[in-house]
Amino acid sequence: MMMILTVRTLISAVRSPYPYGEELVWQFLFVLKLSWFPLLISTFALNLGAPGLQAAGILSLFGALDRLGGFFVVIAIRWIGPLVTAVVVAGVAGTAITADLGARKIREELDALQVLGVDPVKNLVVPRFLALMFVTALLDIFAIVMGLSAGIVAELLYHQPLGGFFATLFSNATITDLWSSVLMCTMFGAIVAVVCSYKGMSASGGAAGVGRAVNQAVVIALMAVFFFQFVVSSVILATNPELQAVR
Amino acid sequence: MNAWLDVPRGWLDSFGEIGRFGVQVAGQVYSGRVFKFFGESLRQAGILIFGSALIIWAFVFILGLQCGLQGAYFNRSIGAPSLAGLFSAYCDLREGLPYAFGYILSAKVGTGIVAELGAMRISDEIDALEVMGIQPITFLCATRLLGAWIAIPFLYLVGIVLIYAASYLSVVNQVGDVSSGGYLLIFWMYQSPPDLVFSLIKGMVMATVIVLVGCYYGYTASGGPVGVGTATAKSMVFNIVAVHIIGMLGTVVFWGANPRAPIGG
Repeated sequence: MMMILTVRTLISAVRSPYPYGEELVWQFLFVLKLSWFPLLISTFALNLGAPGLQAAGILSLFGALDRLGGFFVVIAIRWIGPLVTAVVVAGVAGTAITADLGARKIREELDALQVLGVDPVKNLVVPRFLALMFVTALLDIFAIVMGLSAGIVAELLYHQPLGGFFATLFSNATITDLWSSVLMCTMFGAIVAVVCSYKGMSASGGAAGVGRAVNQAVVIALMAVFFFQFVVSSVILATNPELQAVR
Repeated sequence: MNAWLDVPRGWLDSFGEIGRFGVQVAGQVYSGRVFKFFGESLRQAGILIFGSALIIWAFVFILGLQCGLQGAYFNRSIGAPSLAGLFSAYCDLREGLPYAFGYILSAKVGTGIVAELGAMRISDEIDALEVMGIQPITFLCATRLLGAWIAIPFLYLVGIVLIYAASYLSVVNQVGDVSSGGYLLIFWMYQSPPDLVFSLIKGMVMATVIVLVGCYYGYTASGGPVGVGTATAKSMVFNIVAVHIIGMLGTVVFWGANPRAPIGG
Protein backbone atom coordinates (compact mmCIF):
# COMPACT_ATOMS: atom_id res chain seq x y z
CA MET A 1 0.00 0.00 0.00
CA MET A 2 2.82 2.43 0.74
CA MET A 3 4.33 1.65 -2.65
CA ILE A 4 1.01 2.47 -4.29
CA LEU A 5 0.94 5.77 -2.42
CA THR A 6 4.53 6.47 -3.48
CA VAL A 7 3.74 5.87 -7.13
CA ARG A 8 0.54 7.89 -6.98
CA THR A 9 2.41 10.73 -5.28
CA LEU A 10 5.16 10.74 -7.90
CA ILE A 11 2.68 10.66 -10.77
CA SER A 12 0.49 13.43 -9.42
CA ALA A 13 3.55 15.53 -8.57
CA VAL A 14 4.61 15.77 -12.22
CA ARG A 15 1.25 15.72 -13.99
CA SER A 16 -0.48 19.07 -14.49
CA PRO A 17 -2.31 20.95 -13.00
CA TYR A 18 -0.07 22.04 -10.15
CA PRO A 19 -2.35 23.39 -7.42
CA TYR A 20 0.04 22.75 -4.57
CA GLY A 21 2.55 25.62 -4.87
CA GLU A 22 1.31 27.69 -1.94
CA GLU A 23 0.87 24.65 0.32
CA LEU A 24 4.39 23.52 -0.60
CA VAL A 25 5.93 26.80 0.54
CA TRP A 26 3.84 26.76 3.71
CA GLN A 27 4.82 23.18 4.58
CA PHE A 28 8.48 23.91 3.84
CA LEU A 29 8.53 26.82 6.26
CA PHE A 30 6.49 24.87 8.82
CA VAL A 31 8.93 21.95 8.85
CA LEU A 32 11.92 24.26 8.91
CA LYS A 33 10.53 26.28 11.82
CA LEU A 34 9.79 23.14 13.77
CA SER A 35 13.02 21.24 13.13
CA TRP A 36 15.88 23.73 13.09
CA PHE A 37 16.34 23.96 16.83
CA PRO A 38 16.08 20.23 17.72
CA LEU A 39 18.40 19.48 14.81
CA LEU A 40 20.95 22.05 15.97
CA ILE A 41 21.12 20.62 19.50
CA SER A 42 20.98 16.99 18.35
CA THR A 43 23.76 17.10 15.77
CA PHE A 44 26.01 19.16 17.97
CA ALA A 45 25.55 16.89 20.99
CA LEU A 46 25.91 13.68 19.02
CA ASN A 47 28.99 14.79 17.11
CA LEU A 48 30.67 16.20 20.18
CA GLY A 49 30.06 13.06 22.22
CA ALA A 50 30.36 10.12 19.89
CA PRO A 51 33.02 10.89 17.28
CA GLY A 52 34.41 14.01 18.93
CA LEU A 53 35.42 13.04 22.44
CA GLN A 54 35.65 9.27 21.98
CA ALA A 55 37.85 9.51 18.90
CA ALA A 56 39.87 12.40 20.26
CA GLY A 57 40.54 10.37 23.39
CA ILE A 58 41.95 7.42 21.51
CA LEU A 59 43.77 9.57 18.92
CA SER A 60 45.46 11.58 21.67
CA LEU A 61 46.94 8.30 22.98
CA PHE A 62 48.37 7.71 19.52
CA GLY A 63 49.49 11.36 19.36
CA ALA A 64 47.56 11.78 16.12
CA LEU A 65 44.86 14.30 16.99
CA ASP A 66 45.13 15.92 13.57
CA ARG A 67 43.54 12.75 12.13
CA LEU A 68 40.25 13.77 13.73
CA GLY A 69 39.46 15.80 10.61
CA GLY A 70 39.59 12.75 8.38
CA PHE A 71 37.50 10.87 10.88
CA PHE A 72 34.84 13.56 10.80
CA VAL A 73 34.50 13.16 7.04
CA VAL A 74 33.41 9.59 7.66
CA ILE A 75 31.21 10.31 10.64
CA ALA A 76 29.71 13.74 10.16
CA ILE A 77 29.30 13.75 6.38
CA ARG A 78 28.77 10.13 5.35
CA TRP A 79 26.89 8.83 8.34
CA ILE A 80 25.57 11.02 11.13
CA GLY A 81 24.62 14.06 9.06
CA PRO A 82 21.96 12.31 6.96
CA LEU A 83 21.00 9.93 9.76
CA VAL A 84 20.32 12.50 12.45
CA THR A 85 18.59 14.78 9.97
CA ALA A 86 16.27 11.91 9.07
CA VAL A 87 15.67 10.98 12.71
CA VAL A 88 14.90 14.56 13.70
CA VAL A 89 12.71 15.20 10.66
CA ALA A 90 10.84 11.93 11.23
CA GLY A 91 10.42 12.70 14.92
CA VAL A 92 9.48 16.35 14.50
CA ALA A 93 7.89 16.86 11.10
CA GLY A 94 6.80 13.30 10.34
CA THR A 95 4.87 12.99 13.59
CA ALA A 96 3.28 16.40 12.98
CA ILE A 97 2.23 15.32 9.47
CA THR A 98 0.70 12.08 10.73
CA ALA A 99 -1.11 13.85 13.56
CA ASP A 100 -2.44 16.48 11.15
CA LEU A 101 -3.60 14.08 8.42
CA GLY A 102 -4.89 11.60 11.00
CA ALA A 103 -7.01 14.28 12.64
CA ARG A 104 -8.44 15.22 9.23
CA LYS A 105 -9.19 11.59 8.51
CA ILE A 106 -10.94 11.09 11.85
CA ARG A 107 -13.06 14.21 11.35
CA GLU A 108 -13.90 12.91 7.86
CA GLU A 109 -12.41 15.98 6.19
CA LEU A 110 -10.54 13.80 3.72
CA ASP A 111 -13.77 12.15 2.60
CA ALA A 112 -15.35 15.58 2.28
CA LEU A 113 -12.47 16.71 0.06
CA GLN A 114 -12.97 13.69 -2.16
CA VAL A 115 -16.68 14.42 -2.45
CA LEU A 116 -15.82 17.96 -3.49
CA GLY A 117 -13.67 16.54 -6.27
CA VAL A 118 -10.35 17.56 -4.67
CA ASP A 119 -7.71 14.85 -4.82
CA PRO A 120 -6.19 14.44 -1.33
CA VAL A 121 -3.00 12.92 -2.71
CA LYS A 122 -2.33 15.82 -5.03
CA ASN A 123 -3.37 18.55 -2.62
CA LEU A 124 -2.16 17.19 0.70
CA VAL A 125 0.47 14.48 0.17
CA VAL A 126 2.42 15.90 -2.77
CA PRO A 127 3.26 19.25 -1.12
CA ARG A 128 4.39 17.48 2.06
CA PHE A 129 6.43 14.99 0.04
CA LEU A 130 8.23 17.68 -1.96
CA ALA A 131 8.64 19.96 1.06
CA LEU A 132 10.20 17.22 3.14
CA MET A 133 12.62 16.33 0.34
CA PHE A 134 13.77 19.95 0.03
CA VAL A 135 13.95 20.46 3.78
CA THR A 136 16.03 17.33 4.44
CA ALA A 137 18.51 18.32 1.72
CA LEU A 138 18.85 21.75 3.30
CA LEU A 139 19.01 20.49 6.87
CA ASP A 140 21.64 17.92 5.90
CA ILE A 141 24.04 20.74 4.99
CA PHE A 142 23.13 22.40 8.26
CA ALA A 143 23.78 19.15 10.15
CA ILE A 144 27.17 18.73 8.49
CA VAL A 145 28.17 22.27 9.43
CA MET A 146 27.08 21.74 13.04
CA GLY A 147 28.82 18.37 13.14
CA LEU A 148 32.10 19.82 11.93
CA SER A 149 31.88 22.66 14.45
CA ALA A 150 31.39 20.04 17.17
CA GLY A 151 34.59 18.42 15.87
CA ILE A 152 36.37 21.78 16.15
CA VAL A 153 35.14 22.12 19.73
CA ALA A 154 36.44 18.63 20.55
CA GLU A 155 39.81 19.54 19.04
CA LEU A 156 39.93 22.75 21.08
CA LEU A 157 39.06 20.84 24.27
CA TYR A 158 42.23 18.85 23.72
CA HIS A 159 44.21 22.12 23.21
CA GLN A 160 45.19 21.33 19.64
CA PRO A 161 45.83 23.81 16.84
CA LEU A 162 43.12 23.57 14.21
CA GLY A 163 45.46 23.43 11.20
CA GLY A 164 45.84 19.66 11.35
CA PHE A 165 42.10 19.16 11.68
CA PHE A 166 41.33 21.19 8.59
CA ALA A 167 44.22 19.70 6.61
CA THR A 168 43.04 16.10 7.08
CA LEU A 169 39.41 17.17 6.73
CA PHE A 170 39.94 18.71 3.30
CA SER A 171 42.33 16.07 2.04
CA ASN A 172 39.90 13.26 2.95
CA ALA A 173 36.66 14.91 1.87
CA THR A 174 35.56 14.33 -1.70
CA ILE A 175 32.74 15.70 -3.79
CA THR A 176 31.24 12.20 -3.83
CA ASP A 177 30.90 12.33 -0.05
CA LEU A 178 28.93 15.54 -0.20
CA TRP A 179 26.55 14.74 -3.02
CA SER A 180 25.90 11.23 -1.81
CA SER A 181 25.14 12.60 1.65
CA VAL A 182 22.68 15.16 0.31
CA LEU A 183 21.08 12.71 -2.12
CA MET A 184 20.72 10.07 0.58
CA CYS A 185 19.11 12.59 2.88
CA THR A 186 16.66 13.68 0.17
CA MET A 187 15.61 10.05 -0.17
CA PHE A 188 15.14 9.85 3.61
CA GLY A 189 12.82 12.85 3.38
CA ALA A 190 10.79 11.07 0.72
CA ILE A 191 10.57 7.89 2.82
CA VAL A 192 9.50 9.77 5.93
CA ALA A 193 6.89 11.77 4.01
CA VAL A 194 5.32 8.74 2.36
CA VAL A 195 5.25 6.60 5.51
CA CYS A 196 3.85 9.36 7.69
CA SER A 197 1.26 10.50 5.14
CA TYR A 198 0.11 6.94 4.58
CA LYS A 199 -0.25 6.22 8.28
CA GLY A 200 -2.08 9.51 8.82
CA MET A 201 -4.48 8.94 5.93
CA SER A 202 -5.31 5.42 7.08
CA ALA A 203 -5.85 6.30 10.76
CA SER A 204 -8.99 4.85 12.24
CA GLY A 205 -10.54 4.00 15.56
CA GLY A 206 -11.39 7.31 17.17
CA ALA A 207 -9.35 8.93 19.89
CA ALA A 208 -6.73 6.23 20.33
CA GLY A 209 -6.37 5.86 16.56
CA VAL A 210 -4.46 9.04 15.82
CA GLY A 211 -1.99 8.44 18.61
CA ARG A 212 -1.47 4.86 17.47
CA ALA A 213 -1.00 6.03 13.88
CA VAL A 214 1.75 8.45 14.96
CA ASN A 215 3.40 5.67 16.97
CA GLN A 216 3.43 3.22 14.04
CA ALA A 217 4.44 5.88 11.53
CA VAL A 218 7.53 6.96 13.40
CA VAL A 219 8.65 3.38 14.07
CA ILE A 220 8.25 2.34 10.42
CA ALA A 221 9.93 5.53 9.21
CA LEU A 222 12.96 5.04 11.46
CA MET A 223 13.35 1.37 10.53
CA ALA A 224 13.05 2.17 6.83
CA VAL A 225 15.56 5.01 7.06
CA PHE A 226 18.15 2.94 8.94
CA PHE A 227 17.84 0.00 6.60
CA PHE A 228 17.90 2.19 3.50
CA GLN A 229 21.01 3.98 4.73
CA PHE A 230 22.82 0.71 5.26
CA VAL A 231 22.04 -0.44 1.73
CA VAL A 232 22.88 2.88 0.10
CA SER A 233 26.13 3.44 1.97
CA SER A 234 27.23 -0.14 1.25
CA VAL A 235 26.70 0.51 -2.47
CA ILE A 236 28.33 3.94 -2.51
CA LEU A 237 31.37 2.90 -0.49
CA ALA A 238 31.90 -0.24 -2.54
CA THR A 239 31.48 1.37 -5.96
CA ASN A 240 33.57 4.51 -5.43
CA PRO A 241 37.21 3.52 -4.94
CA GLU A 242 38.30 7.14 -4.43
CA LEU A 243 36.49 7.07 -1.07
CA GLN A 244 38.84 4.36 0.19
CA ALA A 245 42.17 5.69 -1.09
CA VAL A 246 44.80 6.10 1.60
CA ARG A 247 45.51 9.78 2.21
CA MET B 1 10.04 35.77 13.63
CA ASN B 2 8.39 34.42 16.76
CA ALA B 3 7.23 31.21 15.11
CA TRP B 4 10.88 30.24 14.68
CA LEU B 5 11.33 30.20 18.44
CA ASP B 6 8.17 28.28 19.33
CA VAL B 7 9.88 24.95 19.91
CA PRO B 8 12.55 26.12 22.39
CA ARG B 9 10.02 28.33 24.16
CA GLY B 10 7.62 25.41 24.50
CA TRP B 11 10.37 23.36 26.12
CA LEU B 12 11.18 26.11 28.57
CA ASP B 13 7.50 26.23 29.47
CA SER B 14 7.10 22.50 30.01
CA PHE B 15 10.56 21.57 31.30
CA GLY B 16 9.79 22.38 34.93
CA GLU B 17 6.46 20.59 34.80
CA ILE B 18 8.00 17.49 33.24
CA GLY B 19 10.67 17.53 35.94
CA ARG B 20 8.14 17.84 38.74
CA PHE B 21 5.96 15.12 37.22
CA GLY B 22 8.97 12.84 36.78
CA VAL B 23 10.09 13.31 40.38
CA GLN B 24 6.56 12.55 41.54
CA VAL B 25 6.38 9.31 39.53
CA ALA B 26 9.86 8.20 40.57
CA GLY B 27 8.92 8.99 44.17
CA GLN B 28 5.95 6.64 43.90
CA VAL B 29 8.33 3.89 42.79
CA TYR B 30 11.00 4.58 45.39
CA SER B 31 8.58 4.90 48.30
CA GLY B 32 7.30 1.42 47.45
CA ARG B 33 3.71 2.57 46.91
CA VAL B 34 3.84 1.09 43.43
CA PHE B 35 4.21 -2.42 44.86
CA LYS B 36 0.51 -2.37 45.67
CA PHE B 37 0.15 -2.77 41.90
CA PHE B 38 3.09 -5.09 41.35
CA GLY B 39 1.02 -7.37 39.12
CA GLU B 40 0.26 -4.45 36.84
CA SER B 41 3.97 -3.58 36.71
CA LEU B 42 4.80 -7.11 35.63
CA ARG B 43 2.07 -6.91 33.02
CA GLN B 44 3.58 -3.66 31.68
CA ALA B 45 7.02 -5.30 31.57
CA GLY B 46 5.48 -8.19 29.64
CA ILE B 47 3.81 -5.82 27.17
CA LEU B 48 7.14 -4.08 26.69
CA ILE B 49 8.92 -7.35 25.97
CA PHE B 50 6.32 -8.93 23.71
CA GLY B 51 5.38 -5.72 21.93
CA SER B 52 8.69 -3.99 21.40
CA ALA B 53 11.59 -6.42 21.84
CA LEU B 54 11.78 -7.65 18.25
CA ILE B 55 11.63 -4.14 16.80
CA ILE B 56 14.28 -2.89 19.23
CA TRP B 57 16.60 -5.76 18.38
CA ALA B 58 16.09 -5.41 14.61
CA PHE B 59 16.92 -1.72 14.85
CA VAL B 60 20.02 -2.39 16.95
CA PHE B 61 21.13 -5.05 14.47
CA ILE B 62 20.93 -2.64 11.52
CA LEU B 63 22.94 -0.04 13.42
CA GLY B 64 25.57 -2.69 14.16
CA LEU B 65 25.87 -3.47 10.45
CA GLN B 66 26.31 0.22 9.74
CA CYS B 67 28.94 0.58 12.51
CA GLY B 68 30.99 -2.23 11.07
CA LEU B 69 30.67 -0.98 7.50
CA GLN B 70 31.72 2.60 8.19
CA GLY B 71 34.51 1.43 10.49
CA ALA B 72 35.89 -1.01 7.96
CA TYR B 73 36.02 1.61 5.19
CA PHE B 74 37.42 4.30 7.49
CA ASN B 75 40.21 2.02 8.61
CA ARG B 76 40.95 1.16 5.00
CA SER B 77 41.27 4.86 4.19
CA ILE B 78 43.85 5.43 6.93
CA GLY B 79 45.76 2.35 5.85
CA ALA B 80 45.04 0.25 8.93
CA PRO B 81 42.25 -2.14 7.89
CA SER B 82 43.21 -4.65 10.55
CA LEU B 83 42.20 -2.18 13.26
CA ALA B 84 38.52 -2.19 12.26
CA GLY B 85 37.77 -3.91 15.57
CA LEU B 86 38.77 -0.77 17.46
CA PHE B 87 36.16 1.31 15.67
CA SER B 88 33.49 -1.37 16.09
CA ALA B 89 34.20 -1.81 19.79
CA TYR B 90 33.82 1.90 20.47
CA CYS B 91 30.93 2.39 18.10
CA ASP B 92 28.92 -0.63 19.25
CA LEU B 93 29.23 -0.58 22.97
CA ARG B 94 29.88 3.02 23.92
CA GLU B 95 27.85 5.06 21.47
CA GLY B 96 25.85 3.15 18.91
CA LEU B 97 23.85 0.93 21.21
CA PRO B 98 22.67 3.65 23.62
CA TYR B 99 21.65 5.89 20.73
CA ALA B 100 19.89 3.13 18.79
CA PHE B 101 18.16 2.11 21.98
CA GLY B 102 17.14 5.70 22.73
CA TYR B 103 15.78 6.31 19.23
CA ILE B 104 13.71 3.20 19.01
CA LEU B 105 12.48 3.40 22.59
CA SER B 106 11.29 6.95 22.09
CA ALA B 107 9.66 5.98 18.80
CA LYS B 108 8.04 2.73 19.92
CA VAL B 109 7.62 2.89 23.70
CA GLY B 110 7.48 6.64 24.36
CA THR B 111 4.91 7.51 21.73
CA GLY B 112 3.03 4.28 22.51
CA ILE B 113 2.60 5.37 26.13
CA VAL B 114 1.41 8.82 25.04
CA ALA B 115 -1.13 7.34 22.66
CA GLU B 116 -2.43 4.93 25.29
CA LEU B 117 -2.59 7.31 28.26
CA GLY B 118 -3.84 10.17 26.08
CA ALA B 119 -6.75 8.07 24.88
CA MET B 120 -7.52 7.20 28.51
CA ARG B 121 -7.37 10.85 29.50
CA ILE B 122 -9.72 12.19 26.84
CA SER B 123 -12.25 9.40 27.32
CA ASP B 124 -12.24 10.34 31.06
CA GLU B 125 -10.96 6.95 32.17
CA ILE B 126 -8.28 8.58 34.33
CA ASP B 127 -10.93 10.58 36.18
CA ALA B 128 -12.90 7.37 36.63
CA LEU B 129 -9.86 5.76 38.24
CA GLU B 130 -9.63 8.68 40.66
CA VAL B 131 -13.29 8.32 41.54
CA MET B 132 -12.74 4.64 42.26
CA GLY B 133 -10.12 5.61 44.82
CA ILE B 134 -7.11 4.45 42.83
CA GLN B 135 -4.25 6.94 42.47
CA PRO B 136 -4.01 7.21 38.67
CA ILE B 137 -0.42 8.46 38.75
CA THR B 138 0.67 5.38 40.68
CA PHE B 139 -1.47 2.91 38.77
CA LEU B 140 -0.67 4.22 35.28
CA CYS B 141 2.70 5.95 35.34
CA ALA B 142 4.67 4.43 38.23
CA THR B 143 3.80 0.88 37.14
CA ARG B 144 5.05 1.63 33.64
CA LEU B 145 8.30 3.03 35.01
CA LEU B 146 8.84 0.00 37.23
CA GLY B 147 7.96 -2.31 34.34
CA ALA B 148 10.53 -0.57 32.14
CA TRP B 149 13.16 -0.88 34.85
CA ILE B 150 12.44 -4.60 35.13
CA ALA B 151 12.48 -5.39 31.43
CA ILE B 152 14.91 -2.99 29.79
CA PRO B 153 18.27 -4.16 31.24
CA PHE B 154 17.65 -7.59 29.73
CA LEU B 155 16.57 -6.18 26.38
CA TYR B 156 19.73 -4.08 26.44
CA LEU B 157 22.03 -7.02 27.16
CA VAL B 158 20.52 -9.07 24.34
CA GLY B 159 20.90 -5.99 22.15
CA ILE B 160 24.64 -6.02 22.89
CA VAL B 161 24.92 -9.59 21.60
CA LEU B 162 23.06 -8.66 18.42
CA ILE B 163 25.01 -5.47 17.71
CA TYR B 164 28.31 -7.37 18.15
CA ALA B 165 27.15 -10.10 15.79
CA ALA B 166 26.05 -7.51 13.23
CA SER B 167 29.38 -5.67 13.28
CA TYR B 168 31.23 -8.95 12.94
CA LEU B 169 29.13 -9.85 9.92
CA SER B 170 29.68 -6.59 8.12
CA VAL B 171 33.42 -6.23 8.88
CA VAL B 172 34.54 -9.81 8.39
CA ASN B 173 31.99 -11.19 5.95
CA GLN B 174 30.85 -8.17 3.96
CA VAL B 175 33.98 -6.03 3.59
CA GLY B 176 36.48 -8.75 4.42
CA ASP B 177 39.72 -6.77 4.89
CA VAL B 178 40.54 -8.48 8.16
CA SER B 179 40.44 -12.08 9.27
CA SER B 180 38.04 -13.27 11.90
CA GLY B 181 40.77 -13.81 14.49
CA GLY B 182 42.44 -10.46 13.87
CA TYR B 183 39.14 -8.66 14.16
CA LEU B 184 38.10 -10.38 17.38
CA LEU B 185 41.50 -9.86 19.02
CA ILE B 186 41.37 -6.10 18.61
CA PHE B 187 37.63 -5.99 19.26
CA TRP B 188 37.79 -7.67 22.67
CA MET B 189 41.01 -5.92 23.64
CA TYR B 190 39.42 -2.49 23.40
CA GLN B 191 36.58 -3.05 25.83
CA SER B 192 36.27 -3.96 29.45
CA PRO B 193 33.48 -4.78 31.91
CA PRO B 194 33.25 -1.22 33.26
CA ASP B 195 32.51 -0.04 29.72
CA LEU B 196 29.55 -2.40 29.65
CA VAL B 197 28.27 -1.01 32.95
CA PHE B 198 28.68 2.60 31.80
CA SER B 199 26.89 1.85 28.55
CA LEU B 200 24.05 0.17 30.44
CA ILE B 201 23.76 3.19 32.75
CA LYS B 202 23.49 5.46 29.72
CA GLY B 203 20.78 3.29 28.20
CA MET B 204 18.83 3.07 31.45
CA VAL B 205 18.89 6.84 32.01
CA MET B 206 17.58 7.33 28.48
CA ALA B 207 14.85 4.74 29.02
CA THR B 208 13.78 6.36 32.30
CA VAL B 209 13.55 9.80 30.75
CA ILE B 210 11.65 8.46 27.73
CA VAL B 211 9.06 6.67 29.87
CA LEU B 212 8.59 9.69 32.12
CA VAL B 213 8.22 12.12 29.21
CA GLY B 214 5.77 9.74 27.54
CA CYS B 215 3.73 9.49 30.74
CA TYR B 216 3.72 13.26 31.17
CA TYR B 217 2.47 14.06 27.67
CA GLY B 218 -0.10 11.27 27.78
CA TYR B 219 -1.32 12.13 31.29
CA THR B 220 -1.79 15.80 30.42
CA ALA B 221 -3.25 15.33 26.92
CA SER B 222 -6.31 17.39 26.10
CA GLY B 223 -8.36 18.51 23.14
CA GLY B 224 -9.95 15.39 21.75
CA PRO B 225 -8.49 12.91 19.25
CA VAL B 226 -6.47 15.68 17.62
CA GLY B 227 -4.93 16.54 20.97
CA VAL B 228 -3.69 12.99 21.44
CA GLY B 229 -1.95 13.08 18.07
CA THR B 230 -0.35 16.44 18.83
CA ALA B 231 0.81 15.29 22.27
CA THR B 232 2.35 12.17 20.71
CA ALA B 233 4.23 14.29 18.19
CA LYS B 234 5.46 16.68 20.90
CA SER B 235 6.75 13.86 23.11
CA MET B 236 8.79 12.51 20.19
CA VAL B 237 10.47 15.90 19.65
CA PHE B 238 11.35 16.23 23.30
CA ASN B 239 12.63 12.65 23.53
CA ILE B 240 14.90 12.89 20.48
CA VAL B 241 16.71 15.90 21.91
CA ALA B 242 16.82 14.42 25.42
CA VAL B 243 18.41 11.23 24.05
CA HIS B 244 21.17 13.18 22.32
CA ILE B 245 21.91 15.34 25.34
CA ILE B 246 22.02 12.34 27.71
CA GLY B 247 24.28 10.53 25.27
CA MET B 248 26.72 13.42 25.14
CA LEU B 249 26.73 13.97 28.90
CA GLY B 250 27.26 10.24 29.47
CA THR B 251 30.24 10.23 27.16
CA VAL B 252 31.74 13.26 28.86
CA VAL B 253 31.22 11.82 32.35
CA PHE B 254 32.32 8.24 31.70
CA TRP B 255 34.96 8.51 29.00
CA GLY B 256 35.73 12.24 28.73
CA ALA B 257 38.79 12.30 30.98
CA ASN B 258 39.98 8.75 30.39
CA PRO B 259 39.47 6.97 27.06
CA ARG B 260 39.93 3.59 28.82
CA ALA B 261 42.07 2.10 26.07
CA PRO B 262 44.70 -0.62 26.70
CA ILE B 263 47.51 1.50 25.22
CA GLY B 264 49.60 4.50 26.13
CA GLY B 265 51.04 5.53 29.48
